[in-house]
Amino acid sequence: MADKEATVYIVDLGSSMADCHNGRVEPDMNWSMQYVWDRISNTVAANRKTWNIGVVGLKTDETDNPMAEEDGYNNISVLRELGPMGMAGLRSLQEKIQPSSTDVGDCLSAIVIAMEMIQTFTKKLKYNRRIFLVTNGESHIDEDEEAVSEIATRMKELGIELTFGFKEEDKTEQKANNEGLLKQLTDACDGQFGTIAEAIAELSVPRLKPVKPYKTYEGPLTLGDHQQGAMSIDVERYFKTHKATIPPASNVVLQQNHATQSGNGEEFQSSGGNFAAVSNERTYTVNDPTKPKGKREVLYEELAKGYEYGRTAVHISESEHNITKIETTKGFAIVGFIPQDNFEPFVNMGDSCMIVPQKFNDEAAIKLSSFIHSLHELESYAIARLVMKDGKEPLLVVLAPHIDLEFECLYDVPLPFAEDVRSYKFPPLDKVVTVTGKVLNEHRQLPSHDLLETMSEYVDAMDISTYEVDDDGERTQEYAAVDDLYCPTLHRINQAVRHRAIYPDQPVPPIPPILVKYAKPDEKLEEAARTRLDDLIETAEVKKGGLGSHILILHYTNLIILVPPKATGKRQRDKVMPRSGLDIDALLKQPEHKRAKIDPNNAIPEFRQIFNTSDDEDVVKDAAKQMGQIIRDLISDSMGDLNYERVIEDLGVLREGMVDFEFAALFNAFLLDLKKKILSGELGGDRRELWWMLKGKGLGLIDNLTVESSDVTPEAAAEFYKK
Amino acid sequence: MAKSLKKTSWMKMCIYKSQKDALLFAIDVSKTMQKAPPASDDKKADTDSGLTAALKCAYQVMQQRIISNPKDMMGILLFNTEKSKSNDEHDERGSLGYPHCYVYVPLDVPAADDVKKLKSLVEDGEDTEKVLTPSKEPATIKDVLFCANQIMATKAPNFGSRRVFIISDGDNPHLDDKKMNEAAAVRAKDLYDLGVFITLFPVGHKDSTFDLGKFWNDIIFKDPLAELTDPETVLESKSGSDGLTLLKSLIKNIDSKKTPKRAYFSSMPFEIGPGLTISVKGYNLFQKQAPARSCYVWLDDEKAQIAVGETARTEKDSTRDVEKGELKKAYKFGGEYVYFSPEEQTEVKKFGEKTIRIIGFKDRSLLKFWMAIKKSIFIYPSEEGYVGSTRVFSALWQKLVKSKKVGIAWHIARKNANPQLVAIIPSRSQSDEKSGTPYLPAGLWLYPIPFADDVRAGPEPQIVRTTNELTDKMNKITGQLQMPRGLYEPHRYPNPALQWHYKILQALALEEEVPDKPDDATMPKNKAISKRAGGYLQEWADVADEALAKHQEQKAIKRELDAEDDDEPRPKKRTKTAAASKKTDDDGSSAMTDAALKKLVNSGDITKMKVTELKEVLTARSLETKGRKADLVERLEQWVEENV
Repeated sequence: MADKEATVYIVDLGSSMADCHNGRVEPDMNWSMQYVWDRISNTVAANRKTWNIGVVGLKTDETDNPMAEEDGYNNISVLRELGPMGMAGLRSLQEKIQPSSTDVGDCLSAIVIAMEMIQTFTKKLKYNRRIFLVTNGESHIDEDEEAVSEIATRMKELGIELTFGFKEEDKTEQKANNEGLLKQLTDACDGQFGTIAEAIAELSVPRLKPVKPYKTYEGPLTLGDHQQGAMSIDVERYFKTHKATIPPASNVVLQQNHATQSGNGEEFQSSGGNFAAVSNERTYTVNDPTKPKGKREVLYEELAKGYEYGRTAVHISESEHNITKIETTKGFAIVGFIPQDNFEPFVNMGDSCMIVPQKFNDEAAIKLSSFIHSLHELESYAIARLVMKDGKEPLLVVLAPHIDLEFECLYDVPLPFAEDVRSYKFPPLDKVVTVTGKVLNEHRQLPSHDLLETMSEYVDAMDISTYEVDDDGERTQEYAAVDDLYCPTLHRINQAVRHRAIYPDQPVPPIPPILVKYAKPDEKLEEAARTRLDDLIETAEVKKGGLGSHILILHYTNLIILVPPKATGKRQRDKVMPRSGLDIDALLKQPEHKRAKIDPNNAIPEFRQIFNTSDDEDVVKDAAKQMGQIIRDLISDSMGDLNYERVIEDLGVLREGMVDFEFAALFNAFLLDLKKKILSGELGGDRRELWWMLKGKGLGLIDNLTVESSDVTPEAAAEFYKK
Repeated sequence: MAKSLKKTSWMKMCIYKSQKDALLFAIDVSKTMQKAPPASDDKKADTDSGLTAALKCAYQVMQQRIISNPKDMMGILLFNTEKSKSNDEHDERGSLGYPHCYVYVPLDVPAADDVKKLKSLVEDGEDTEKVLTPSKEPATIKDVLFCANQIMATKAPNFGSRRVFIISDGDNPHLDDKKMNEAAAVRAKDLYDLGVFITLFPVGHKDSTFDLGKFWNDIIFKDPLAELTDPETVLESKSGSDGLTLLKSLIKNIDSKKTPKRAYFSSMPFEIGPGLTISVKGYNLFQKQAPARSCYVWLDDEKAQIAVGETARTEKDSTRDVEKGELKKAYKFGGEYVYFSPEEQTEVKKFGEKTIRIIGFKDRSLLKFWMAIKKSIFIYPSEEGYVGSTRVFSALWQKLVKSKKVGIAWHIARKNANPQLVAIIPSRSQSDEKSGTPYLPAGLWLYPIPFADDVRAGPEPQIVRTTNELTDKMNKITGQLQMPRGLYEPHRYPNPALQWHYKILQALALEEEVPDKPDDATMPKNKAISKRAGGYLQEWADVADEALAKHQEQKAIKRELDAEDDDEPRPKKRTKTAAASKKTDDDGSSAMTDAALKKLVNSGDITKMKVTELKEVLTARSLETKGRKADLVERLEQWVEENV
């Protein structure tokens, strides 16, 4: 169960808090409130009904507290009684936090009031009780040793944690004095005492959300047949890692009816108004040629459950709904053992879990321990079949031993099944094999001896196994250890959302540096390895641009020929040959293979061939025109959306060719005309759906970023999509 | 004259393509393909003709694709057939267009009927359409290729991957007729320019070798997506080669090409150091396969149909219909929504461009076994963005293998994707004897490292340590039960749940008998285990009992001593441990013994238990733990009634 919390914040609102100190341009109030707002917004974000927040204002102009009658409790106001806090509460509180025009108010008295608030609220129930006091400590406190110790005793009795926020070097005597007093109090009740600067620094370290251990399996871990004296150890299996959820953004709409919202203050409205959640409703259609558009809506209630087998729908009746599920019984059985060296971490398929003996079960503990130690001594891992519950699908996992001073367990990770592995082939990295089967150990694609050497030195220079600084300032600790890695997206979203909730009118804050600490190599490390890197860069001779700037001849037997582009001259193009090296382009120029007009049934190949072989601009333009006509005919002849994918493919090929030849104007004119024809219904009726598809595939105007000579700007190209 | 600033090869910028695959088998049914292998007494001898093997292969691939690529298309074109049937009835050329070509299974997502038809042809030899009668005159390859061209252009337009698998034993189909060969070569180039890739699977005969030089070398092009250093050998399938039957040999060759190689990401900058960037491609070599989700079926018409769902959005309270353009993204916060404009959203999620940026190297031993969070991505160099990438990549790979190090890198897979810290781990080459993964190619792997946020705390630790004697006994068992070759080889373990799901579906779809027992290769071989280690297991259990007795004795002494020392807080704790040890005396397999549970139920005290305790008791008996307390109690009462 989640713990219940009662937290009271005492906030110094004295007039001196409106001043700026120590070279800051921000008034003390805003500066120190950062800490308070951050804490409060964390509670608001959690949205827990059992987490209660109260706020007491210190040095307020008015006096509004239950002990106002008594002496010394003046200028203290309860701004908010203890209770769960939402966004509305946050907003109304924000209005109340304003510097007053006085500097009178005793913070010890405020603590007493906070204690009373907590006591009244929590009674004797189990709560985490906390008081935070933020003050600049500039005003008079009744120095009463007795009172201090009394408060401390009472505080301890109630089990309240006290944290002080205080600040600043270069203090006044009054302040130093007060600090001493409050320090005494915090010490007396085991509280914390710190400066706001420290507190704010602490804010930049992301807070981890503790998650309760989750048991994924409980039962025996077996080896062999249970009937014949097999091994059986009662174990429990918990998550060791599990992807923390990144807060998702939900779909909302602006509420149409603003009046229903009770007065939330004008300023929030300006930040975007009120939003309403969106709910999804599913409707179902089936093909029905007799209906317009060929589709008919059906009711959800009339549908049966089933599965797809290829394109066939297989109906599964209600009584047999489990028929395709394999019948299994819960269990965790060892299949065999492998040497640790034969396991590669990259074959794991997901989270890891830990396996410990059943609670309070010494027999299980000692038996499991012997299993763990055996794996450790023989440097082995075990492969096991796991069924988490009756009827669940079987998993294969690999088990590894873990032995610590005070703790032992098995860790497991899931393994891939036969179907999960794709057998893509890749050529080897340490040799080149030619088509004739000859093995080459020296090749342009293989590293030279020098390259291997410089790479080795660079890698060693960039070692971070012991690069993190320890408490003595020595580099002995692992750099970028798991404990120091905070999920950037998760904490970034949390930070931005909290910030926006507190300061609706401010822009998104910058990314906290701690979240991008590991986005780049450490500067000092980089500097130290610089000469090694320079050597490596020089030896590697890597050139940007890649094959794009060369003529690429795809030739089967000679692997590849790279020809540097001539400074001037023709457009570069692929020269493609079959295995035999037969020059098909030449063949196509012979009269018996020559093609006069593009055959609509073979449009793409013939169009590409003209583009790849012809140097005559008119021929190319003519081919483009023919292609345009073919595309229009395809649209006109299309039954419904039958030809749409073909149209997209043809148009895509045409566009690529025109980009290659830099005929932007010609293509753009064609596309503008096509758009008009599509939308006006000239091409065989309502073709708007095709227009949406073209839009979705990004087949638009060629802009002048793509082809310099184009007179269409990227903005105009984007505008073209908007109807 | 036009002058290009950058070459834009059509292979690189096919963003408008859909990510689908179409595979067309073109199978030769000539007389020689149908010749049965010579009779033999050897049980392992081949019984399949080239044609039967080819059809069996196609059948197997079709079944596999229904599971692994349910949205992808497949078709079968037979050639050298007496009969002719073209792709499309409406084709103006009619069947005259492509003589001796017969579209047996039209290119489409396979339907149950296609599987059935092929199955009866393959398994029962039922050739109802009389398609396997070979023609007297051979088909011309130009017609076969153009027929394939038309099928691909019309049935699979705009597919990202389109492939033709030709299975034939004829290495000289036109008997050196130059005109015919040239015409075929031109049609082959057409297919290449259409973006259709031809793979030839030659079928060899005992007495002769398939000579690619006679004809086929003019037809086969290099796969534009293959690596530059990949020689792409054409693999001949032959009876008796490597001791395999023709069928096995053909299956093996086709298996390696069956899935089109798709990159998960390409042109990815790989920053080895500031100022040294190469380009790599990423591949998903592991992809969890799961049964497809159930769908809704409309049954009222003659044929069952899948109902297509669409989502309509409404405002929650007013149920007003919402237009797509109205939708905004907001985060829930304190019961309300916090809104960012789309630009701000991008700003919040922006952590820089896509990259793999090395920030240092670590000893491999620092990467602990439990630091696992999701599957890894395989990366392989490409010369697309930077010339020289391959050799630098290779140098890094060799260094990491040799020094047992891993790279640590900051990785953003796509624009605006969530950043991830990855370890860069080398996989050894497949010929390396030390490789634990001979089924995977050599290269580097991006292995995601969990963040501190992803690490969970375990339960309170408790420890009872083993004795040396007990561990020794266990060592004997562990040593006896090594996996074959000391490896985990995934291909030996098909996913039993997945296979069963589709086996049943297939039986239902083809209206066949539903099998009653699944094959489950993941089941431990208990017979072999007790044969090899049965005796050791018994010894271990005995020693364990002794060790436990000793441990409990010590514990009892310690407890007494403690009790003497300090009487006050002890009694409470003692009852607890006493209860616990009592538990272990019994069955011990559940949080509470059945007898104790029965007692609780009978006395009615079960209602006094807390929900968490009830759940624990339920879990221990594999019972459902959902519902309110009353439900849980009822469920337990019922269980006791039925079982105890």
